[in-house]
Amino acid sequence: MARYILRRLITLIPTLIGVTFVIFMFQRLIPGDPAIAMLGEHASEENVARIREQLGLNRPLFLDREALQSGDFAGFFDTQYLRYLGRLAQFDLGNSIHRRIPVTETLALRFPATAELALLAMLIALTIGIPVGIISAARRNTPVDGVSMVGSLIGVSMPIFWLGLMEIMLFSVFLKWLPTGGRLSTGIEITPITNLLLVDSLLTGNWVGFKDALEHIIMPAIALATIPMAIIARMTRSSMLDVLQEDYIRTAHAKGLVEQVVLLRHALKNAFLPVITIIGIQTGSLLAGAVLTETIFAWPGIGKWVYDAILGRDYPIVQGGTLLIALIFVAFNLLVDISYAYLDPRIKYD
Amino acid sequence: MTELAAKDTKDIKVADFAMREHRSLWSDAWRRLISSNTARVGLAIISIFILTTTLSHFFWDYNPRTDLDYTLKLKAPNLSPTAEVESIHPFGTDKLGRDIFRRVIHGGWNSLRVGLVSVGISLIAGGLLGLLAGFYESMALASSERIIVLSIAGLLLGALPAWIANQFFIALLFALLGGVAGWFEHFQAHKPLRYILFTLVGGLCGALPALLVSPSTALVTGILGLGIGLFLALSVRGSIISNVIMRVMDITLAFPSYLLAIAIVAFLGPGLEKGMIAIGVVGIPQFARLVRSSVLSVAQKEYILAAQSVGEGHGRIIFRHIVPNILSPVIVQTTMGLANAILSAAALGFLGLGAIPPEPEWGAMLGDSYRFLTSGAWWAVLFPGLAIMISVLGFNLLGDGLRDALDPKLRI
Repeated sequence: MARYILRRLITLIPTLIGVTFVIFMFQRLIPGDPAIAMLGEHASEENVARIREQLGLNRPLFLDREALQSGDFAGFFDTQYLRYLGRLAQFDLGNSIHRRIPVTETLALRFPATAELALLAMLIALTIGIPVGIISAARRNTPVDGVSMVGSLIGVSMPIFWLGLMEIMLFSVFLKWLPTGGRLSTGIEITPITNLLLVDSLLTGNWVGFKDALEHIIMPAIALATIPMAIIARMTRSSMLDVLQEDYIRTAHAKGLVEQVVLLRHALKNAFLPVITIIGIQTGSLLAGAVLTETIFAWPGIGKWVYDAILGRDYPIVQGGTLLIALIFVAFNLLVDISYAYLDPRIKYD
Repeated sequence: MTELAAKDTKDIKVADFAMREHRSLWSDAWRRLISSNTARVGLAIISIFILTTTLSHFFWDYNPRTDLDYTLKLKAPNLSPTAEVESIHPFGTDKLGRDIFRRVIHGGWNSLRVGLVSVGISLIAGGLLGLLAGFYESMALASSERIIVLSIAGLLLGALPAWIANQFFIALLFALLGGVAGWFEHFQAHKPLRYILFTLVGGLCGALPALLVSPSTALVTGILGLGIGLFLALSVRGSIISNVIMRVMDITLAFPSYLLAIAIVAFLGPGLEKGMIAIGVVGIPQFARLVRSSVLSVAQKEYILAAQSVGEGHGRIIFRHIVPNILSPVIVQTTMGLANAILSAAALGFLGLGAIPPEPEWGAMLGDSYRFLTSGAWWAVLFPGLAIMISVLGFNLLGDGLRDALDPKLRI
């Protein structure tokens, strides 16, 4: 097992190098000069040159062949990309161009918002998706099955930004039950511990804060949960159907076991592997930020932040945010692979 | 006695079944497809969608540039003329007084185009990459292919020292070295000798031309050359092609698709055509992975071995024997891909990165109007979104039906 994990980690290295390379290149390829973006259109030439010098933009991109020709080996490697990698190794993602504060600081502030939203959405998706999948499989080809499968197809086809807008229309505009956006009403304070507002307010016993945070998070969480819920329900159903045809299920029935026991203890346990893969991948992509949902509900998470930064040409934020998102994505894929090997003893690790 | 008769008729039925008319795989699949309700609904939705959008595009004139009427700003839907609004707007009007029904119908043309073009890009690029990766992962390289692959590898790897020394013929030297390494593959018997020889020659290829520039450059390119020479001398297997392709796909998959699409559009500039490219590129890895795994599953079949043993070329094996046998999953993925592409195009349009206004596009229409939701203009948001959802649902229903119809496990 340890050897399998080690090998899997080694295969990650080229992927990670590729990811940093792509992120670095995107910054260079997107039109516009960061120095001018920082100083504004009317900056003087000397000031632009000074900032370019400060940011290292006057260095070559990858390797400096001129420095090498004059025998300067240190200068050969002193380039934009390698400096970038060096800063990454020190967890330095640079400063935001427009707001002049470290990217890591804002990331630490914004990531909990995305994480809270994603985890709640996943929780909703699991508590509805899995039971629906099990019931559909157990009552195959009945109206219950038909309704839930058509429902899940509609869920997969749902443009979630539109669903979010419909929620706002119904619950905020017409019924006036819930706020249209944001994370917390003004005037309500929650002592930060984990920066997950729901958890913090529970820990400090702040019921007013909890209710307010819940009112803000529930609509975006439902919108975000729709697609994973539908996918999980479909996956659970098809995986259960495969397993329900096995001999040991017939044996369990023949022994006279109650149906719930057969379904949950015998079938679900064996049908759960592919479902776990889907759950892992979906959690990864939810945690990677949901730019559309966050835009509609004015949710202060990383998806919206990176999107605004792309439009505003705030390169350090784009780089830092994208890197974090890609790392989360890769990490969850790795977790899925490892858990798969761990849960299914038939898979050889080495 | 009656029991026996019943048994007889049962036997006759079986005989009937065995002698039924011959049907090809595709006509059989078609019959199963139209016998399923989901697929029928999907087909109906898609037919209506395609018919209305193409007919309206060609026969119902619409000029988005001249279409505005401030007197009719944000009017609620009406099915008959009222005192206030004399014209009929079944879906209401938007913030510029444009008829939403008309724009929804015409917007379908853009969604259809985006879907077809971007899925075309992902299918062709991803399909070819997947074919190459899957085929060469399971099959040995022919000697001519080995020479080509090693020459290209030499050229690409040699480009680095060539660039450092600013002398581009170094790359050609390494390409030649790669070709030679491929040519003398029988030289394998003396492995250590082969390694030492190629490493040394590689080092010389890198260092000697670079000496003209400066000694320190020659040192670096020489070291690189040693490595490249050794790499070229190692016995290259087809799995290297597959590895390179799939690693690149892994890197692409490490970014969430929406972020990659936004970044590509930010780089190319907004516009529907740029959106098509972005969505197409983002979809490449999915097709590549699917095609590769399908190729791997058929590559060891007897008919491929048979084709090989009668001496058919690799190109012929791929296109005559492998491609027809992996079509079913690809067709299903293409249908589902169309649904995804329409959804992604709408998302890009919503963020203002798709169609340039005033071009009608469903996502952009939503993005235009959602600010008016708080003032009660629900119709401007409801109808474009419904159009997106229903057309996407149509393709998903058809894809689902196709999967059942084409699944050979169900075939009797």
